[in-house]
Amino acid sequence: MSKKLSRRDFLKLSCAAAAAGMVLVGCGPASRYVTRVPYAEMPEYQHIGKSTYYATTCRECPAGCGLIVRTFEGRAIKVEGNPNHPVNRGKICPRGLTSVQGVYNLDRITGPVMQGRRGKAGGQAISWDEAVALVKKRFQETKGSEIAFLLGAMPDSLYDLTSELASALKAPAPVRYSALNYLEGRDVWLAVASQYFGTPSFPYFDLENAEIVFNFGAEFLENWLSPMAYSRGYRGFRKGQLGARGYMVSFAPRQSISAAAADEWIPIKPGSEALVALALTRLAAYARSEFSPEITRQVDIKAAAEASGISEEKLKELASRFAGSNRPLAIGGGSALAGKSAFETASAILALNATVYNFNQTGGVFLTPAKAPSERFADVQALFEKMRSGAVKTLFIHGVNPLFDLPAALNAAEAFKRVETIVSFSSFPDETALASDYILPDHTMLEGWGYQTVLAGTTRKIVSAIQPVVVPLYDTRSTADVLIAAGGLPYKDEVDFLQQKILPLMSAGGTFTAPELPSFWAKFLQYGGWWQKSADYAAIDADALLKSSISMPEPHPAPADQYHLVVYPTQFGDGSGANRPWLHETPNPATTVMWNSWVEIHPQTAKKLGIHDDDVVRIRSEFGEIEAVAYLYPALRPDTVALPFGLGHEALGRFAEGRGCNPARLFPNASSQNGNLAWADTLVSLSPTGKRRPIARQESRHGVYGDGE
Amino acid sequence: MAAETKTLSATHSASQEGEDLRQEHLMHDPKPREEMNGMVMEAMQTTSKKYWIALAIFGLGVLILLFGFWGNQIITGMGVTGKRRPVFWALYITTFVFWIGISHAGTFVSAILRVFKAEFRRPFTRAAELMTTFGLAAGALFPLIHLGRVWTFYWMIPYPNARWLWPNFRSPLVWDFLAITTYLLSSTIYLYLPLIPDLAMARDRSTGWRHSIYKLLALNWRGTEAEWHRLRKAINIFAFAIIPVMFSVHTIVSWDFAVSQTVGWHSTIFGPYFIIGAILSGVSAVVMILFIIQSTMKNMKYFIRLEVFDSLGKLVLIFSMAWAYFFFNEYLLHWYGGYQAVRDLLTFHAQGPTAWVWYTMLICNVAIPWLTLWNRKIRRTPLAMFIITTLVNVGMFAERYTIIPLTLGEQRFPFDWGAYSPRLTDISIVIGTFCLFIFLYLLASRLIPLIPVWEVQEGQMAHSTRKLGKGKVTSVAELE
Amino acid sequence: MSEKVEAKKWGMVVDLDLCTGCQACVTACAMENNIPYTGEDETAYGRGLHWIRIQRYWKGEYPEVSPTHQPVMCQQCGHAPCEPVCPVYASVHSEEEQINVQVYNRCVGTRYCANNCPYISRTFNWFDYPHPVPESYSLNPDVTVRRRGVMEKCTFCVQRIRHAVDTAQAEGREIEDGEVMTACQQACPTGAIIFGDLSKKESAVSQAARSQRSFRLLEELGTEPKVVYLKGGGNYGG
Repeated sequence: MSKKLSRRDFLKLSCAAAAAGMVLVGCGPASRYVTRVPYAEMPEYQHIGKSTYYATTCRECPAGCGLIVRTFEGRAIKVEGNPNHPVNRGKICPRGLTSVQGVYNLDRITGPVMQGRRGKAGGQAISWDEAVALVKKRFQETKGSEIAFLLGAMPDSLYDLTSELASALKAPAPVRYSALNYLEGRDVWLAVASQYFGTPSFPYFDLENAEIVFNFGAEFLENWLSPMAYSRGYRGFRKGQLGARGYMVSFAPRQSISAAAADEWIPIKPGSEALVALALTRLAAYARSEFSPEITRQVDIKAAAEASGISEEKLKELASRFAGSNRPLAIGGGSALAGKSAFETASAILALNATVYNFNQTGGVFLTPAKAPSERFADVQALFEKMRSGAVKTLFIHGVNPLFDLPAALNAAEAFKRVETIVSFSSFPDETALASDYILPDHTMLEGWGYQTVLAGTTRKIVSAIQPVVVPLYDTRSTADVLIAAGGLPYKDEVDFLQQKILPLMSAGGTFTAPELPSFWAKFLQYGGWWQKSADYAAIDADALLKSSISMPEPHPAPADQYHLVVYPTQFGDGSGANRPWLHETPNPATTVMWNSWVEIHPQTAKKLGIHDDDVVRIRSEFGEIEAVAYLYPALRPDTVALPFGLGHEALGRFAEGRGCNPARLFPNASSQNGNLAWADTLVSLSPTGKRRPIARQESRHGVYGDGE
Repeated sequence: MAAETKTLSATHSASQEGEDLRQEHLMHDPKPREEMNGMVMEAMQTTSKKYWIALAIFGLGVLILLFGFWGNQIITGMGVTGKRRPVFWALYITTFVFWIGISHAGTFVSAILRVFKAEFRRPFTRAAELMTTFGLAAGALFPLIHLGRVWTFYWMIPYPNARWLWPNFRSPLVWDFLAITTYLLSSTIYLYLPLIPDLAMARDRSTGWRHSIYKLLALNWRGTEAEWHRLRKAINIFAFAIIPVMFSVHTIVSWDFAVSQTVGWHSTIFGPYFIIGAILSGVSAVVMILFIIQSTMKNMKYFIRLEVFDSLGKLVLIFSMAWAYFFFNEYLLHWYGGYQAVRDLLTFHAQGPTAWVWYTMLICNVAIPWLTLWNRKIRRTPLAMFIITTLVNVGMFAERYTIIPLTLGEQRFPFDWGAYSPRLTDISIVIGTFCLFIFLYLLASRLIPLIPVWEVQEGQMAHSTRKLGKGKVTSVAELE
Repeated sequence: MSEKVEAKKWGMVVDLDLCTGCQACVTACAMENNIPYTGEDETAYGRGLHWIRIQRYWKGEYPEVSPTHQPVMCQQCGHAPCEPVCPVYASVHSEEEQINVQVYNRCVGTRYCANNCPYISRTFNWFDYPHPVPESYSLNPDVTVRRRGVMEKCTFCVQRIRHAVDTAQAEGREIEDGEVMTACQQACPTGAIIFGDLSKKESAVSQAARSQRSFRLLEELGTEPKVVYLKGGGNYGG
């Protein structure tokens, strides 16, 4: 700059500039002076609205875990465990987690439908008034004895209501079953408990405080009686609250996640579990220098060793270890309790417990203080027999899918044809719903009311509350309301029924109570249920058990070209989870397979049969055949094949349809003397079909097994 | 300084010797200037039907295979390619490295040979420089093609922006971006500078649209002493300056891999290893191009003689050996390093289901050049040279393929290994860039003088045969 | 950010002795973080978007065979290999949480970070994955839904961290140990996952991390992971 700026000029100029600036600032539109912050500087994590949390109860399996559901603007966002709930203490399994994908499923039935033709999707929409009138008409026009209720995984409240209704209509009591039940051998435990303890209640195995556990096939981490309660038990067992880290021995032909979690896996020959348990009982008594109990009189240690493939020395070692422990425990389930001799096996497992006197002891066996409704397969068989004879005119089905999960040998579809009217209350277009005449969709789990009596996994009385967390998405109606309206039961509506049912709990010594029903009801919903403060179990006595004599099960070794069959439930539960995309996308814990079923074959066996990974294999039993993709599974007996349960639907929407295979087709229509479905004795043959169909695995086959890709 | 002196066999008669020399060396086979200029102009202006068909096919290839599939990829998502976890980079980056490698040819052949005054370079510097520019053009597309969100590519450019965010200068991708831009710019200038006198030549010998283009591009070149002086100086500066740029570019490309913790990438040797590989593939590509030019374009047999193939063949052999040295070095160190994941990886390369790629690499890069190129006869058979150098480039592609998808697929966790298989989009786009390169080259071959006439003439003027004692020697005068 | 908040060092401990490989964490993570499902063909081709995957290996030969399970998610490295290589600062370290964050808005999709992650814990949005109505109703409003072409990975449920920190700040108190639960931790049926502030000595996570059984994945790389594993369940080393 050539010209010099004097100080005077500078001051003048700056004053002028300041004035001009102020004028400009003052004159412009206000918005000009809002500091415009670039988008990149937006306050982070900002959103409008607040979440509301509701307590409710999971209905995905009979365990009755407490849930807290996060809702946001009337939508169910995330399902979380209820930390105060005594069953699951805030924990939750994949099936429970994806229940929002049940509510917001793409393939729901959106309103009551009159099916034009059975077995075909679509039909004519009807109004709820028509629907209720229709049900009413069926109640009035059908003789009581010709009405049948077939129920499944549903709130216990609805079961209780239906039972009441059935007796009011003079109809036979509702028949209830679930695939999880017969796959996990639950009904066997009930039969055993009724037999020896006089109460149809589930035993509670105190895994948490046990020191040494013998597990006969129970998949306690996956499904079994109460997976979350037993997973917590497993944690305690490993953490050794009362002493050393526990030691678990697993007797199972196939390594499930639970069997894999054991410290020792003994690939026992299928069908020899009872013998082994009895042999161990006898050896344990011997190790304790006691007389061997009556129940073990017939057992021959050598024969047991031979039948099971476990050496005598090993049996002796295990028995003395078991007998020497402070808190030994034996549990059982899965395929071990699903054969013809399931009752004997369960008795033997209990006897093994009884011989170390762990009944009613910490780390031992208790009886859950809740009577469980019978879920015997024999009753289901009888019902279908009745249908076949034409003696059922109207059939109501809720929460169960017999066309999918009953053995194909039962031929449920054929029996359905002899029924005049079938009314399904399914929320989803599953096989059975499509085969009905009317579909009157119930709310899904997060939209409806109810309560769930906790039957397993606890020593307390627990009634878990189910309340809607969102308004129903579609034009669905609570089945309880429909039945109350149509059946003329003395309740105003479902909530009235529920409130009357929980009335006795007000004075039953729970963790909370209230002077009058509305407050009690509010608390009941808020806490997610009602439970006792402490354990309240009936002491059980081992005498009857140890003195009984059971028929010795006959081991049934598989002929050379046939294989034992193990079917196990997966995250899909009884198969109703197959329409949830994220359950498909969740890898199977054992195989990491997603979106399909497979058949697990031991690599040696596969080599012998010329089967490779991803080959489509035909699996044939006496009763049917299916095709599945081979997965060479190293942790399986070579004389056994294993199939996951839950896929292989012919309906149930876009995610389920035509995906995987249904092992129920291989099952016999056979119940044991005690009424359980005896599927575990099924023998199958394998043959490659020559087709290949690579399955989706998360693992790298090349990396993990050193082949493929 | 005499760059090249050769005593010739005395058994030949004098005239025979002269004839041999003429046939052998372009520099000893001078033609009148006007005739030579005419030859170059003719080559440039002659277009056969075949040429137009080829141009149309490759143009369509660019349109459909490159831009069509790319467009679809942008709209649909990167998933249309075969990439997956853990192979996040695959064929695109492989081809990217391949093109950057090819682009080394121009600089290497032209600049380094120019700096070292290798006389055989004279007729084909232009062809090689064009390869550099077009190879870079094709290669530089890939960093864009492989972006998941290409519409935001400019976020990688350092400029003051509304996001208040500079690019991350610690990221080798930013270095890459800068290096490639620099290289593209400098190599284009380096291509252009020696082109000016030839453009002026073309300007003076053409009419119509060609004349206007050349007039514009020749920057009023008149050929005065001062102009020549400045041009020589500029070329000289660029020839020296571009060499470090060239080394840096491929080193930086190699750093994309070497600075990561990825097993098999994290190696100090990657810089020189990549450069050697790049030169090997680049020189080979020059041979390929020269063969095609020589056999398809008019008058080119005069300019591109067997001596060129011979010399380039030697270079290919030397660089193949150097490459083998680095390859061996890499294996040796990893073997003794004993890091299990690397050992697994190397075993996988050699024995896994994709071992054929590894064998292709070794056979094409080592076995074939070593077995053939020592032989003068083979080096002097253009077709054989074409086949060999094509194979070398196949081998180098296999090398990059081994380094990128096959290495990423086998990292530290065997549970997560994954095999990449290219899909239609990957392959199409890669072929599309080959089409682009060929298309650009085809266009250029008819638009700019492919032979640097003035350099050839300069060389011819400098060369002479002198009598020295009883024999004759060729001598080169220093003109510059 | 109005006030300067003292930096936390969020960390996680995974007790492999308790991990049964049940996959509940995987589903919980997906449900919390709006992770789309990709379907059979895509997952088969390694394009599943699981933020945690449970590595299942086998050890031993039949009949002494048994699987080992190891959940691997983003290890939130203190010295993260993914950070320096990102050209656009999409993969950066957060000062306050001391975790590695992925800024979806900035990501241009070079996928360099994923190549450089030794834990292969990053996933890429190969497509725009559909969120059809009504399935989309259950999307978590706290978590961005990612579009095609961006990287994503485990965030240590940063939305939950923020929520807890902001709540504590608003109530004028220190954040309590165990106040922040990641979705995986919350679901884990055996409680094998512990989450908390590693900078506090007495926090549950710090105590667990000091266990003699603790190790970190690929420790030799110097990435300083903030996920600590406790040996057990067949996993006995880094």
